Parts: sequence; C-alpha cells; structure tokens
Amino acid sequence: MPAMIGPSHYIYVCTRLRARKAKLIPRDEYIRMLNMGLPEITRLIQETTYKREIDELSTSFSGIDLIEVSLSWNLAKEYQTILKILPRPLQHLTSSYLRRWDIQNVLTILRGKDQGLPAGRIKEVLVPAGELDRALQDRLLMEDTSAKIVEMLKGWRLYPVLSREFAEAEESGRFARLENELYKKFYADVVADARAVRGGRAFIDYVQLEIDIRNLQSLFRLRAAGEKGDLREFMIPGGSVSVEELQRLSAIEDLDEFIDAMKTQVTERPLLALLDDLKQQGSLKGRSLQETEIVLTRIKLAQMERMSKAHPFSIWPILAYLELKKYEVFKLRTITRGKEANLSPECIRSYLVM
Amino acid sequence: MALRDVKPTRSELISIKRRIALSERGYNILKMKRDGLILEFFKVLQQAKESRGALQERYERAMKAIALANTVEGAIAVKAAAFSVRDTPEIAVRSRNIMGVVVPEIESSSVKKSLVDRGYGLLGTSSVIDETADAFEDLLEAIVEAAEIETTMKRLLDEIETTKRRVNALEFKVIPELTEARDFIKMRLDEMEREELFRLKKIKARSPS
Repeated sequence: MPAMIGPSHYIYVCTRLRARKAKLIPRDEYIRMLNMGLPEITRLIQETTYKREIDELSTSFSGIDLIEVSLSWNLAKEYQTILKILPRPLQHLTSSYLRRWDIQNVLTILRGKDQGLPAGRIKEVLVPAGELDRALQDRLLMEDTSAKIVEMLKGWRLYPVLSREFAEAEESGRFARLENELYKKFYADVVADARAVRGGRAFIDYVQLEIDIRNLQSLFRLRAAGEKGDLREFMIPGGSVSVEELQRLSAIEDLDEFIDAMKTQVTERPLLALLDDLKQQGSLKGRSLQETEIVLTRIKLAQMERMSKAHPFSIWPILAYLELKKYEVFKLRTITRGKEANLSPECIRSYLVM
Repeated sequence: MALRDVKPTRSELISIKRRIALSERGYNILKMKRDGLILEFFKVLQQAKESRGALQERYERAMKAIALANTVEGAIAVKAAAFSVRDTPEIAVRSRNIMGVVVPEIESSSVKKSLVDRGYGLLGTSSVIDETADAFEDLLEAIVEAAEIETTMKRLLDEIETTKRRVNALEFKVIPELTEARDFIKMRLDEMEREELFRLKKIKARSPS
C-alpha cells in the first residue's frame, strides 16, 4: 500500500466508522440502566455486541468479573478490527494512539513477573487493545525473567525507553519512573506521527489539550498528596504550558493563587470554567479531585466530538470512535460495578462520562 | 488445711502466725496490684474503644474506596496498580512492662507511603487509585495500632484474672484457714494448760500436806 493515501480512503474509513459509531449504546439507554437491577443490566449487555465474548469467557470467569473481562476483550477485539481496515498512514497513527494499552500491558507483565505472580493471574489483567497482540503477550508471559521479556520487545517502538529505564526499575523494584517515561515518549510519538495525516495539525492541538489536561490532573494529585520539590519528572512535555512553568506553579502554596496563576496559562474555555469551579469549591481532595478528573475527561471527549464534526474525513472520526467505544465499555463497567457495590444511581451517574 | 493435721504445739503456732502475717502482707500487695491493673485496664480500654472505632471507620472507608475504584477504574486497572507494590510493610515488636505484665509495643514501617513512592506511575493512573491506596494504608496502620492495644488489653485482663484469683484465694481460703488453725492451736494450748493446772491441783490435793 502506498505511503500517501487519497481522499477516497478517508471517506471509506470514516463512513465505516460512522456506521459503527451509530451502533454504540445511546445515552438514554445508560439512564435506563441506572434504574435497573444487576441481572437486568447483565441480560441487556448480553443482548448487545458483547454476547460473543460473554459466551466465550463464561467457562473461565463468573459474575461481575465475567462482564468486566468480556467488555475489555470486546474492546480489544474491536480495536484490532479497526486497525485492520485502516490504510497505512492512518493505521500508523492509530497504532501510536493505541500504544497506551501496550504500555499498560507491558508494565503489568513486568510487575507481575517481578512479584513472582503466576502467568494466569497476570493474563487476567491484560487488555490486548494495542499493537502487541494476544499471541505476543502469551509469549511474554511464558518468559521466566523480566530481562528476557524486555529483550523480546526489541522491535517495539518504545523499546529504547524501556531498555534505558528498565535496569534502574528492576534494581529498585519501582516501575513508576519507567511508566512515566513510557507515557512521555508515547505522547511525543503521537505528535510526530500526527504530522503525516489529514487533520493532523488539528490533532496535534488536541494532543496538546490532552497533555495539558494530564499535567493539570497530575499537578492536582501531587498537590493533594502534599508533594513538593522537583515535580518535572511527572509532567509531560509538549503541552501549551511548559514543564518549567508547571514546576513554578506547583510551588504556589495558596489554592486561590495557584488557580489564578493556572488561569493565566490556560487558554481553553472549558478548562477555565473548571478552574473557576474549583476555586469556588476551595478543595482539591477526595471526591472533588475525582469529579475534576471526570470533568476533564468530558472536556476531552467534547473537544474530540467537535473536531470530528469539523473534519468529517480525517483522522478525527477514527479517534473519536475509538474513544467513544472505550467510554462505552467504561460506562457499562461503571454501572455494573457500581450496582454490585450498591452505589446509588445518582452516585454512579456522577462517575459516568456522558 | 484440715484441723486434724495441725499439731497443737507452740512452735506450730509461731509458724502459723508468721504465715498469717506473710499472707496478709501478700494479700494487701496483690489487692493493690489488682486495683492498679484495673486502673491501667480502664485506661487501655478507652484507647481500645477509640482504636476499634478508628479501625471500623477506616475499614468502611477502605471498602468504599475499593468499591469506587472498581467502579471508576475497573477491577483490571485496580489489580494492575496493585501489582506495583513490592515493599511489604515491616513490623517490629518490642515489649514494655505495665506493673509486671509484659505487653507488646508494635512499630510498623513502610506502611504509609507518599504518592511518588507507591510504585505506580502518575501518568497511567487516576486519583481514585491514590484515594484507595491511601485508605488501605490508613487501615493497615489502624490494624497494627489496634493489635498492640488489644493484645495489651488481653494480657492485662489475664493478669487481672490471675491476681483476682490469688487475692480471693488468700482472702477466702488461705487466711481464714490459717486463722482457724491458729485459733485451734491457741484453744488446744489453753486447754492443755488448763488440764495441766487441774492435774497439778489434783496432785496437790491428794498429796499429804
């Protein structure tokens, strides 16, 4: 397949994905589910596209775990199918975008092996929604040591970062720095790959928004945990606010002052509104922090929806579908898990990204 | 002590008197120890009530946090984050003495960790994981504290029970029996003295003056 693709490819792919998007569970259905009991919700899920995975996995899992694992497997399968129907440059960028799942899986395998957990237990926690497919993950799980697993990932795009940080992580037993570095490289790669596709420029702006949101989230979390000092290690470069500026902001003690300083740096209107809300609440801990994260995710999705309408035949409809599918799975999981934990419908609803 | 085994001699009387004095001294000391232990027990009981309350509250908070984390992040993400924790908390047990009762002093380390030391990355997780980890660290600390206080309380209770049994044994068995034996010997000695006196009088009456 040629490296450059014409408009017809975009039209074909975007139309197919628009058709898939139409099949996603509508908003009203979630509202209905909130008032249902767990058996009814389970039956409803079984009547949708998740039936096959539920049937396949029913011998290995049961109850709520069966629902959750089936949802994750369906998501992984859907992503793999989409990767197959995409022409190469789009496939390349989409793979880049889905690499966050690979990071999660690789780290889970490394941590599981490091703790001496059996392969079966680690496998339960893997979601092969990225480019590292199930077969490769099974081979990785068969390896005895973490060092051999890293060796096996030699062809992986994030291998240079993995091999650079792995020795220190293995020695200290802490994979946090490795995880942070992998995510930083992930964002850098997505930005680099976005330049080659239609709508890429706008997509880079979106990635910048995502980086800003992620940095803001990290800053809030570090602040809530009372962490001080050099926090640059936890910030992703490439956002509209520089890492140095974020470090300077983190040193501000007073919350009002911190939010005011943040407002001078951020330009996106929804983020500004969120900062105003936070200032009124006067707290950055517990539930308010979790609610803030959900608001930030909503901002991200709304922006993606807007852009996919503004650029109907570009990378946007593809990524918007991937995100919407992911949040469909998350919403179903939130509702079922919430119902299992006897949370009230209002409480569950506050955690749904709708 | 059966009275028939008691030898009504003056030396036995002296020995029993000594034993009574010793028993009464022991009784007073043990009574003071029992009262002291009860006072200590009530102090520890108050702490135990507080620690139990805190434990219950933290347990509920932790359960709520894990339910919420499973709801928001999913059990898969929660388990994956849990794999990051490699350091196991260490517990050092020393002992201290409360009125002769050896009670443990438990000190735990690496239970409460900072956000950056927990082992999971900041960029791949959300604040609900922080909240859950924090709640479980608090719960573990409360368990260690409750274990120390409740073991202390249990040992104090055992000691109070033992001391109470000893005090009761001295008060209702040992001292009354010794007193009875002393009185018996006294009575017997008096009787023997009277018999002796009577005998002497009789002998004197029979003898020609």
